[in-house]
Amino acid sequence: MVRLITHNLLACHAKGCNANNFPLQFKDVEIEIREAEFNPDFLRGFLPKIEWKALVDSARQIGDTSLPAEQPEMVDDDFLKSLHHVLLELHIEEGSMTCPNCSHVYPISNGIPNMLLAEHEIA
Amino acid sequence: MRGYLFVFAQSHSEFRIPEIQSIAELYGFSLQLPELESVGPFVVIGLEKEDHARLLAKRCILLKSVYEFWGQGSTYEELHNSTRAHKSLWDPYQQDTSFRFFVTAYNHTIPQSRQRQIMEDFSYMAYLGKIELKQPELVMGCFEEYDDTRGLAKNRVKDGNFRQVYFGRLIEEGSARALIGHFDVKKRAYYGNTSMDAEMSLLMANQTKAAPGSLIYDPFMGTGSMAYPTAHFGALVIGSDIDGRQMRGKEKPAGVFRAATQYGLASRILGLFTFDMTRNPWRCGDLFDAIVTDPPYGVRAGAKRLGRKTEPSEKHKEVYRERLASGRTDQPYIPPTKPYELSDLARDLVLLSRYLLKPGGRLVFFLPTVTDEYEDVDIQSMLCEGMEVIANSLQDFGSWGRRLVTIKKTATTSFPPPVFNTNDDTSWLGPSGHVPAHKDFREKYFQGFRKENS
Ligand SMILES: C[S@@+](CC[C@H](N)C(=O)[O-])C[C@H]1O[C@@H](n2cnc3c(N)ncnc32)[C@H](O)[C@@H]1O
Ligand SMILES: [Zn+2]
Repeated sequence: MVRLITHNLLACHAKGCNANNFPLQFKDVEIEIREAEFNPDFLRGFLPKIEWKALVDSARQIGDTSLPAEQPEMVDDDFLKSLHHVLLELHIEEGSMTCPNCSHVYPISNGIPNMLLAEHEIA
Repeated sequence: MRGYLFVFAQSHSEFRIPEIQSIAELYGFSLQLPELESVGPFVVIGLEKEDHARLLAKRCILLKSVYEFWGQGSTYEELHNSTRAHKSLWDPYQQDTSFRFFVTAYNHTIPQSRQRQIMEDFSYMAYLGKIELKQPELVMGCFEEYDDTRGLAKNRVKDGNFRQVYFGRLIEEGSARALIGHFDVKKRAYYGNTSMDAEMSLLMANQTKAAPGSLIYDPFMGTGSMAYPTAHFGALVIGSDIDGRQMRGKEKPAGVFRAATQYGLASRILGLFTFDMTRNPWRCGDLFDAIVTDPPYGVRAGAKRLGRKTEPSEKHKEVYRERLASGRTDQPYIPPTKPYELSDLARDLVLLSRYLLKPGGRLVFFLPTVTDEYEDVDIQSMLCEGMEVIANSLQDFGSWGRRLVTIKKTATTSFPPPVFNTNDDTSWLGPSGHVPAHKDFREKYFQGFRKENS
């Protein structure tokens, strides 16, 4: 499954697609919610890696509006709990991800996105 | 520091010191190692605290037990002198501590009568406590170590003709070895012919220093053998493979998720992705605490990368363009691949790891090597600035072997995403032009490692 934590780390990598190639847009998704262990230290350490706007937009795209549009300056437990839920507990099982720039479609099946490039897409 | 007697399992002897070093580093304590590396099971190692010995015994796969070191000698006279010198360690148990005392040998069986004699010879310790076999407060062990004489029928070992004898107080029995059975590949819900055996996967996991909250990546995920032990130690794992079928298998849900579920680790498998390591979609670097992987070396699972061996013909290109234009998507698209030579792959893996690892992070991977040809510079030749080898342990299969290499990202700066060499040129070899012996490993393997012109 794709979770938003990994989705936030992946950009379109087709040949020549270097700008506006992130975040990939979800389409026709099937979502499951599954519990994950809460590890506040991990989340604090991971926070600097997150592209905040991309995370919030993608969460909204799949129907979760719990995150604030602006990343809060105060990192308290409540905030970490909602961050935990959005990053780790929403699982996209089926559907696809589309590049906002070149429109390449990365299909997701059985929870595994196919991000192989076609011959004309490799540099 | 105080001495502790480590009793190691008799397998993978080159792996045991790197393993305890990794776990000591994980918990942030230091070790004092002997100058000479031994191959036998007994090694005396210095530790600052008894608790450190317990931590190691709970986590190290190759550690069978740890004793507080009370004495050692090549004769019993030497052993007793050494034990007397450590009186302050065993003195506190003299009065009323219940105890058990056993005498045993490695590579030999000591006759009962002599075992009794050996115990009696320790009577100067004057222990007054009760002898208690089931739940003693104190366990003492005396170990004779004999040379390995397997296959030497004539030179049967003579009783008492040991190389060294050791004596000490049991601190902790190793409990991590039981994980080898827990992760037994044959009992796993999903595995394949590329799966790594449980013991080796666990050793690899320990080289990564996996712990709760670490983020670990396998770019050649296959059936995910190393993901389970690393996740077991608390890490969150991401895997990718050029061939999705390796991670998926035939049933639903995907094989790696099924196996992870069996172990209760599904929530720690963060995600699986199908892509070519050299054409990867990572948005940024400095992400992972470790990368652990068994790269394809072409014997069982071919090493491939996207592209073609030779430029496609004009006719082929035309057919291809038509197909694209028609927008037919009923068939899953399978892009062409070309072979990926091992020494190229190894260099690319190090480069990619330097980009993706956090500073201080580790790359842990297997490199197959040809026994007669291997030189240490082979490994040096695949490094790049900011990446240093910190462990290199051989598993020997005779004419070939594989080395578990641990490389640390010593650089504290970030690196741009690597540009891989996509042509099959060798300009990267640099001015020295050293050709590592693992180059064209697959061809050498199928030729039975015969040397050219010989
Ligand atoms: C030796 S197997 C790894 C086995 C794995 N450790 C397991 O437990 O099954 C190597 C894997 O690398 C994959 N592979 C080969 N070339 C690749 C590439 N260029 N990028 C990503 N994966 C690749 C193969 O599909 C294969 O699954
Ligand atoms: Zn794109």
